[in-house]
Amino acid sequence: MSNPIRILVAVGLAATAMAPACASDPAPIPVHRTKMAVTPTDEQVAAQFDARMKDYLVLHRRIEDSLPKLPKDATPEQLDKNQRHLGELIKAERAGAKQGEFFSPGMQTLVKRTMDGVLAGPDGKTIKASIMDENPGVPNLSVNDRYPDAIPLSTMPPQVLDHLPKLDEDIEYRFIGKRLALIDAHAHIIIDFTDNVLP
Amino acid sequence: MPLRRLASLLMVAVLGACTARGGAGPTAGPAQVDAPKSPTEGVVPLPNAKGSLKFVVLGDFGNAARGEYDLASRMARFHQDYKFDLVVLVGDNLYGSERPQDFKQKFEVPYKPLLDAGVKFYGALGNHDAREQRFYKLFNMDGKLYYSMKAPNEKVRFFMLDSTYPVPEQIAWLEKELHDTNEDWKIAVFHHPLYSSGGRHGSDLKLREILEPLFVKYNVSVAFTGHDHFYERVKPQHGIVHFVVGSGGQLAIGDIDKRSTITAKGFDTDNVFLAVEIAGDTMTFNAVSSSGTIVDSGTIERRKQPGDAP
Repeated sequence: MSNPIRILVAVGLAATAMAPACASDPAPIPVHRTKMAVTPTDEQVAAQFDARMKDYLVLHRRIEDSLPKLPKDATPEQLDKNQRHLGELIKAERAGAKQGEFFSPGMQTLVKRTMDGVLAGPDGKTIKASIMDENPGVPNLSVNDRYPDAIPLSTMPPQVLDHLPKLDEDIEYRFIGKRLALIDAHAHIIIDFTDNVLP
Repeated sequence: MPLRRLASLLMVAVLGACTARGGAGPTAGPAQVDAPKSPTEGVVPLPNAKGSLKFVVLGDFGNAARGEYDLASRMARFHQDYKFDLVVLVGDNLYGSERPQDFKQKFEVPYKPLLDAGVKFYGALGNHDAREQRFYKLFNMDGKLYYSMKAPNEKVRFFMLDSTYPVPEQIAWLEKELHDTNEDWKIAVFHHPLYSSGGRHGSDLKLREILEPLFVKYNVSVAFTGHDHFYERVKPQHGIVHFVVGSGGQLAIGDIDKRSTITAKGFDTDNVFLAVEIAGDTMTFNAVSSSGTIVDSGTIERRKQPGDAP
């Protein structure tokens, strides 16, 4: 990658990172950069993903902060109420959200290429087996769906997490069948997903 | 009965020999394991020594089915004779939905006698567990997906890991935590087994690549895991003793691969919890089934580093 593009991306990310501080957000939203970008186009795609994720986190935290804080010694009633309430409010704010807002066509290509690379190695079969362990998938999935209660969370091998863009603690990648989904782990909702990431 | 008495004497002799072996001097070698023949009829709770650390390991339990309730009753009865202070959970604490009534039926009701007696449960998360369980007060996770905790007595530290989502930050945290803590016993607790003879799941090889070098380097002696729905004690691997205790609820009868060369003891025909006692350099364990049979037992000497006191 050429130096000017690298500098441009870095300046853009730095500016994005400063935005919440300017808006007097109490907790700064970290901006992460992906390892998987290898070309300037990849860099742009990844920066766009990171920026959208940051916007989502701003939304998530704003709504979360409007709810009673979940104590570290919560009752099941508090857990359930907080999680469902947060989920409903986020869904309402993102009522028009569509698949592909985070996993844009460029990001889908980047993710697929990254996973192909991870799975092409000598351990590919083992990694895929680990992901597919207790991962039956669901026939239909939509953005803003609640993560299905009856479906276990897929195991994410460290070798996969190491290659995907880093996320805030409240957001996770999970495979649902062969789809890669972005999950709001606190609100139990699907933020976005991309199909057929696994062969 | 003379035969039973003879067996008891033999057991005492074996345990004594193991304890003596622990005093042989500092070694950086493997944890030493010795297991008397099993099963042993009737519940004979461990050495049950005054001042020792007593705890129970439980996994893959929260399905509100009869198996879970029967085992929970056995644990409560066991607690009457063996006053364990804590229960460490290896994950899959609640299956299916996690509404308030699920917390009750799948956890609070079956373990009520223990909770009422002041026994504290410490959670690790499995692949069936919602991440919000970390805020549930009775799992004592302090809002953390992974954490370490010092045992109330003896020089013991538990490293409670999140094996479903091992982000690089967690691995970095683990290495720092293992490096910075100096308890004699370092015990790892997490859901996916690094070693298991399960046909359905088996060993998690990719997780093993990441965790095992740290465990070896920083002197972890024992790993408690679950995921496979049976009880297995694995032969020491790189000096570390691995247990699979996914036997707290739905069982996978016949799932242990009988051809496996890593099994030291496997049991998959009844629900099991693992009772553990640590006194000094020695850990004693009894795997107890719902029927009250001790299906596996033995002692483990902790791994030692050069410079440890003999």
